[in-house]
Amino acid sequence: MLWLQLTITGLQTGALYALTAVGFSLIFGTTRVFHFAHGAAFVLAAYVFYWADQAGLGIAVGVILAALAAMAFGVAMDRIVYAPIQRHEGSFFTVFVASFGVGIAVQNIVGMVFGRSFVTINTPLSNSVELMSGVYVAPLTWIAIFCVAVFFGALQLFLRRTHTGVALRALADSPELIRVFGLDPRRISAAAFALGSLLVVPGAVITALGSGLNPALGSHVMLISLAATIVGGIGSINGVLVAGFVLGLAENLSQIFVQSQWSEAVTFAILFLVILLKPAGLFGRIQAR
Amino acid sequence: MVKGKIWVAVAALGLVAGAAQAKDLEIGALFPMSGPNAVYGEVFRSGTDLAVAHINATHMLKEPLKILYEDSQALPQPAVVAMTKLVDVEQVPYVLTAFTGVSKAISTLAQRNQVIAVNGGGVGPDLAKLGPYFWNVIPLVNFEVHGMVPYLAEHGMKKVALIYVDDPLGQSILDELKATLPGVGGKLVAEMSVPSSAQNFAAVAAKVRASGANAVYIASYGAQQLQIAKQLRDNGVKAQFASYSGFSVPDALKLPEAQGLLYTTQAVNLKADDPVTKLFAEDYAKAYPGKTPSAYVVNYYNAVLLYAQLAQGVEKAGKPITGPNLLAERKAMKRFDLVGGTVSFAANGTLVAPMQISKIEGGKGVPLEVIKAE
Repeated sequence: MLWLQLTITGLQTGALYALTAVGFSLIFGTTRVFHFAHGAAFVLAAYVFYWADQAGLGIAVGVILAALAAMAFGVAMDRIVYAPIQRHEGSFFTVFVASFGVGIAVQNIVGMVFGRSFVTINTPLSNSVELMSGVYVAPLTWIAIFCVAVFFGALQLFLRRTHTGVALRALADSPELIRVFGLDPRRISAAAFALGSLLVVPGAVITALGSGLNPALGSHVMLISLAATIVGGIGSINGVLVAGFVLGLAENLSQIFVQSQWSEAVTFAILFLVILLKPAGLFGRIQAR
Repeated sequence: MVKGKIWVAVAALGLVAGAAQAKDLEIGALFPMSGPNAVYGEVFRSGTDLAVAHINATHMLKEPLKILYEDSQALPQPAVVAMTKLVDVEQVPYVLTAFTGVSKAISTLAQRNQVIAVNGGGVGPDLAKLGPYFWNVIPLVNFEVHGMVPYLAEHGMKKVALIYVDDPLGQSILDELKATLPGVGGKLVAEMSVPSSAQNFAAVAAKVRASGANAVYIASYGAQQLQIAKQLRDNGVKAQFASYSGFSVPDALKLPEAQGLLYTTQAVNLKADDPVTKLFAEDYAKAYPGKTPSAYVVNYYNAVLLYAQLAQGVEKAGKPITGPNLLAERKAMKRFDLVGGTVSFAANGTLVAPMQISKIEGGKGVPLEVIKAE
């Protein structure tokens, strides 16, 4: 039954990876900003949720506050950090370094405010129940999978059925075209950051409830988001969703055959293979330059 | 007029030189002050700062003592950079270090520059083999495992699963368990190494359950060891948890999922009536009301106090306070009055101390058994 157990834990892990990575991919795919501070948005949302829990505000209020914090952070990054750099013809690398710096700063500020130690939230949602002999599932697993279905479905609807969604897709294809249609690329870019940052919230909340938090969590989140974005194909939301699950399942199922320490290496072996065999990613389009 | 100005300048220079000579005595400390292990840095510092306050208040040394703290992040690479600064720029004769990987990384710099490196937090057995300038004021993990394994066997827990971080500490605990378990009729039923960056242990929990172990030895540190304990319990692992002194930090003691965990540390009798222990216990209680000092606090207090006792001897002999002179003084003095009583060092520079098995109950470590020093 070990394989079934690892498949279930792989699905939960994959769900979290998919949600976080889809946010990063949406931002990167539409704005071409390598938003390294996406991991910081995750940490911020998780700690705001933790703070709300400690303050006795309840899960619902905690989720709303976490969502507001993540979205505000994303939009502030776009307006205060990236826009001035881009206005002065800042290169891709300059933007990346700025984002990296903010990520480190946020990690340290969170550490100063909440302490650098490991914090947890006591909840029955993280306690596993034995479904059948040797197979344990926590309620959070179902919540994670449900969140992926809801958020991904809502995102697809938003991107296809709303003006802002269509504009976001257009921004990814051609920022110039956006201007021709009289739209403001900066406002659409801010929408991409708000939406992409909002997508970290379920993963952040589930992590806070399940495995606990420390301020250094963001770098791992960022690493996985980047891997899933490349494996899935830059700009392909469907691809990143699939890649998130592939990486989560591979990380867990690989432990049947290899030591746990190699599970992260499996993630990057997949990344390496995809880069070699399908450089545009599983669902990516090869673009002529 | 010109002559007068020259005399004023000379006098000013004399004052500056005098001020330079009155510089504090400085020692270095490589503690994690950021990253997931920063919590240890705070614990270590509570011991060192208290020792400095006592040493300066009692004028043990001719000049005030000051500690130059550097952030090691508990990682070898930043630690080597910081050690280079302490040795080459600050030219300190004595550096406090922690964590096995960090300590091994900086030990070559200590040997090459004849600077004393004193470890009070890392417990990898290799730390006993790093040369004459590397000392340990903490018994190493081989002694901890030697204490824990017979205890587990005596209480019917002979099937042990090990989750260990993939670094020198984890490897050494794996080696020790493999060597000691067969001797008490026990068996290592599963060994799972995890990278130090790993945060998700649901799959590890599944493997522990599948192994049928009745005790799980957790060999990690910092935030990760707490995540392991929490996620194992959340994922249905009911076996007894056991670990080493890494679990003696406040965060671990208050974690609900760690309640009942057994861990080893060196035995420190904080109720001893010698003046050093009494002063430490009283002032720690004043500074941190309601808290019991962990073994790490005691170790780093002792490491600073050890420096002061050695430097005092070196000063009395009219010699400069250098690494070689401190080493010679340690060999000459042999026994030291530190917190917990009079202690001595083995020939390899490691403190000889009895071990203690404690159980986490009600948010604190409850001592169960004391094991004599090997």
